[in-house]
Amino acid sequence: MAKAKPITGLDPQAPTGKNARLIAKERLEEIYTWDRYVDHPYHIQELHNLRIAAKRLRYTLEVFEDVLPEACKPIIKELEQIQEELGALHDSDVMIALLRLCLGSQDSAIHPEQLQSDGETQPKKGKSLVSPELVAVLLEPTVAPSAGERYGLEQYLQMQEQLREKQYTTFRQHWYSLQARDFRREILDILDA
Amino acid sequence: MNNMREQSLPVRAAIDIGSNTIHIVVARCSPQDLDILEDQVELVRIGESVTATGEISQQKCRAAIAVLNRYKTLAEKYGAHPIFVVATEAIRQASNSASFLEQVQRETGLTVQVISGNAEATLTFYGATYEVSREPGAPAQIGVMDLGGGSLELVTAKNMHITWRTSIPIGSGWLHDRYLSSNPPSYDELTVAEAFLQTYFQGVRIKRRLPVLIVTGGSANSLLLLVHHAFKLEVHRNQLTERDLVRCQGLLSALTAEEVSERYHQPLERARILLAGALIIQAVMSRLHLTEIRISPHGIREGVLLAYERYGEHWLEIVSQSAALPNHQQQAEFQPGVSTVKAEEPFAQSGRHMLLERTRKFLEWPKEVLKHEDVEAVHKMRVASRRLRATLDAYESCCDPQIFKKVYRQVKRAADALGAARDTDVMLLNLHAQLEHMKSEEQAGMQWLIARLETFRQQKQQELETFLHTLDEDKLKKQVESLIPEGVAANGKS
Repeated sequence: MAKAKPITGLDPQAPTGKNARLIAKERLEEIYTWDRYVDHPYHIQELHNLRIAAKRLRYTLEVFEDVLPEACKPIIKELEQIQEELGALHDSDVMIALLRLCLGSQDSAIHPEQLQSDGETQPKKGKSLVSPELVAVLLEPTVAPSAGERYGLEQYLQMQEQLREKQYTTFRQHWYSLQARDFRREILDILDA
Repeated sequence: MNNMREQSLPVRAAIDIGSNTIHIVVARCSPQDLDILEDQVELVRIGESVTATGEISQQKCRAAIAVLNRYKTLAEKYGAHPIFVVATEAIRQASNSASFLEQVQRETGLTVQVISGNAEATLTFYGATYEVSREPGAPAQIGVMDLGGGSLELVTAKNMHITWRTSIPIGSGWLHDRYLSSNPPSYDELTVAEAFLQTYFQGVRIKRRLPVLIVTGGSANSLLLLVHHAFKLEVHRNQLTERDLVRCQGLLSALTAEEVSERYHQPLERARILLAGALIIQAVMSRLHLTEIRISPHGIREGVLLAYERYGEHWLEIVSQSAALPNHQQQAEFQPGVSTVKAEEPFAQSGRHMLLERTRKFLEWPKEVLKHEDVEAVHKMRVASRRLRATLDAYESCCDPQIFKKVYRQVKRAADALGAARDTDVMLLNLHAQLEHMKSEEQAGMQWLIARLETFRQQKQQELETFLHTLDEDKLKKQVESLIPEGVAANGKS
């Protein structure tokens, strides 16, 4: 994800508390530019961007915790949880891509680059789930996995895919529980208090 | 304790207001030992209303005050002085905690001290280990977990000196309210809660394996009681095994809370959250590769009494200071809020000192990372780099664009190098954790992958070290000092 959007319209002489609220609101809006992807379990990059946006709001609230209302603390916890859930999902996506890479490259004509995403969405240029240097280490021909090792990798891939399903369900359920209580409004109300 | 000496010891009382319970201990106290005269607990579940609405409801407030008044009378009956009252996660989190504390003071005359998660972990450690520390052959490495209603505190220690601690915002009441609200919980709820815990604890960084883990808190003690009743465990046994917990889970997911309460003599409110407690303990055991834990009935209250005897009137300050020491070995997570900012302070002015403070925190880590002794140093430096970037992002509009670009590029390079190393560490940690659960014929594949990732990790360490050796700390500090020009900080014009 690109660098955070610069916040415009901040008065350097305005009270820190006032500007902190403006920054937090901007970061909140960034989260909601990605929320339409919550129902798309394999929009890996967009879900990752949602995580980064949640992380940016969390850090903003933490950095300015002295000047923001106490009620931001439970919000920080919720954001931390979203970040954890999406982080675990992303870790699984990386591991799945990596395992497919190890397994796919040995027995098919598929180019390794095609194995770096889940197959439904192609990562953008420069956004591969697995870095080219790691691909080189994994596909080092002199250390290719044996048949026995491949069996273990296949089993682990299956486990990881099942875990990902659960992780996605956990995140989605949490996200919808937040929407049910109008999380966005809740944060705005706290910041406006 | 010697009986003569015991009688001359002062009687004190300590009350803790937790997310689930309000608990009192009255004891004759010495710095190393306690003779407990009273130990009572009431399940008030203040955390329930905090989780639901963010604040302590009037109903919960009244219930808490009634219990506190009763406890005060009880303590006074023993001539206990002082009566300490500490509050933890639910009160820390409640948006109306100030008015709650004021109402308690007004209606009971008791002053409640809200303590930090780290102070809570330290006090619990004192309380949970004071008996073990006197046993012959006490283990050198030991861990203590306090499973509360709203949070979980985990401490590790070597030779009874705390080496690491963390406070995790997951407790039995919280997990129940969030994931297991049906009675009994449905299969789907159980699956999602387990997946959440597995995911969450995989992400918790724990430095070393522990031979002994002592678990305290109401849920842990109630589970022990349940096992005694339901599975006829020997009365004096205070250990719970993985198998015991699996059996508890089966039983608690099959029966309603009312049935559990009636059959196994558990308060109904406790019976409701016991399954959540069992799942959390299982998740932690799995993360720590433990097959057995010890349960202690002692915790924060006993810790408060011991701390007072050891440190006198300033006990809480001393415990809080030691808990907040910027010691890399002790802090599990980077603590936010490094510098105090006033709400009315001009933005550019606060930016100058916040950026410097964040830079200083960021630069605390290169030496630790270069030692290459502790994978957590990489994680912590990465977190420090993220917080510095978040601060840079916030103050970008006040900064000199050219200098900003240079500083930002440096910090981003550091974050990228740290990220590549850390992400590989996390993959390796997860693979090692999974390895034990794989069948032997499946392990070869995992070991192959671990070997490849370790090769890659070594490459990344070399790159990281090269970067850190070239990082000119003084130059970075000077650049950060000049990021927000004096003119902007003084009058808002660049």
